[in-house]
Amino acid sequence: MSISKKIVLLGHYGVGKTSIIRQFVTNEFSSDYKVTIGVHILKKEVLIKDELISLILWDIEGTDHINQISQAYLLGSHAFVFTYDISRPATYKNLLDQIDGLRNAFPNTLFKIIGNKLDLISEVNIDSDAYKSIIEKTDYLTSAKTGENIEPLFNDLALEFSK
Amino acid sequence: MQSEDYKIEELQRLLLQEDRDTTNALKQELEDLKLLIETEKELDGKVGPIITKYLNLYTEDIPEKLGPTITKTLKNEIEKSKDTIVDALYPIIGKLIKRYIQKEFQKLSDKINYQVNHRFSLKSIARKLKSIFTGVKEEDIIISELSDTQIQEVFVVEKNSGILKGSFSKTNTIDKEVLSGMLTAIKSFVEDALKTGDEQLETIEYGLYNIYIQNFKTYYIAVVLHGVFDSTFKEKLEEDLLTFSQKHYKASKSRVEISESLKDMFS
Repeated sequence: MSISKKIVLLGHYGVGKTSIIRQFVTNEFSSDYKVTIGVHILKKEVLIKDELISLILWDIEGTDHINQISQAYLLGSHAFVFTYDISRPATYKNLLDQIDGLRNAFPNTLFKIIGNKLDLISEVNIDSDAYKSIIEKTDYLTSAKTGENIEPLFNDLALEFSK
Repeated sequence: MQSEDYKIEELQRLLLQEDRDTTNALKQELEDLKLLIETEKELDGKVGPIITKYLNLYTEDIPEKLGPTITKTLKNEIEKSKDTIVDALYPIIGKLIKRYIQKEFQKLSDKINYQVNHRFSLKSIARKLKSIFTGVKEEDIIISELSDTQIQEVFVVEKNSGILKGSFSKTNTIDKEVLSGMLTAIKSFVEDALKTGDEQLETIEYGLYNIYIQNFKTYYIAVVLHGVFDSTFKEKLEEDLLTFSQKHYKASKSRVEISESLKDMFS
């Protein structure tokens, strides 16, 4: 028997939400940036302990603030994956406050914070206060380009769903 | 005793020998090139493969390099010569449409003849009774019966998450779970964007297809239909969907069971 779970990727424009999903579902990466309009949905099945879990991945268009996202897209989600770009501080400043607001509205949903573009780590000021505070709360550092930590992120989510 | 001439000659040899050798080598290369150019076969053997190579490369690159230019030129030409193109295509398209309409009328005529010839059948009597009790004209019921509306696919979808609870499909097109997700996203977007309060999206039309959506509290049922979707058919479909909800959906425990019930009801 299989179960289906809805995972919504959230974050600023150009942080790599679409690339992360593409890397996970089709093992592909393209450096051509195409902005997501509205929502795009993809699916990947993961086998966890003889149980097939369908991960329905909602790739939502980037926004500057979580409040700008259509609430209807968030309803019924089993997990939120907040994505920021480690090389662009604007994508993670104030993110934690926004996430706290959403946690209250969705108490039964899993929350994950990921810092994407790990391949650009050399360009990051790792001593800045903003980076230090976000990295403390970050669950995974990923690279959609190299595929680093993408599979573990979704496999761990699937594992948590199967519990 | 060596003469003066010999000494000069020896000096020249020592000083100019290298230049002379170079000149002779150049002369020889020039002769070879002259021979190559003058002998067609020789030239063909040397230049032919290079031309073929570049020709092949060029052929491969034509769609990429010349495609946009050709498309733009064609668009411009079509734009400029609209009337000529319409004159040329009109008779062909006209004939095709005429033939199609004739065929469809023939089919409709055959069906009406069949209905008229069987006017004293049980089905006809049932139709008359239905007309009396529902108030719908008998001819409307006949037309509705003739419209040949087909249910192509049925999806039972969890309202908020868009997760598929069960489905029935006559065709195996795209992934049903992705489709139910996208359908939910479209539905949510329309309902959210228009801020219609309790109003919910009920139908989506595209070409000859209609997607009819029947909303329930925690889920909705989307039915993909082909053909005429009139009020008579809608009424019957609503009844069927309510029956499905009351009798089958509540009793079904898994996606497989829901899908089986849908298949039994709509196939």
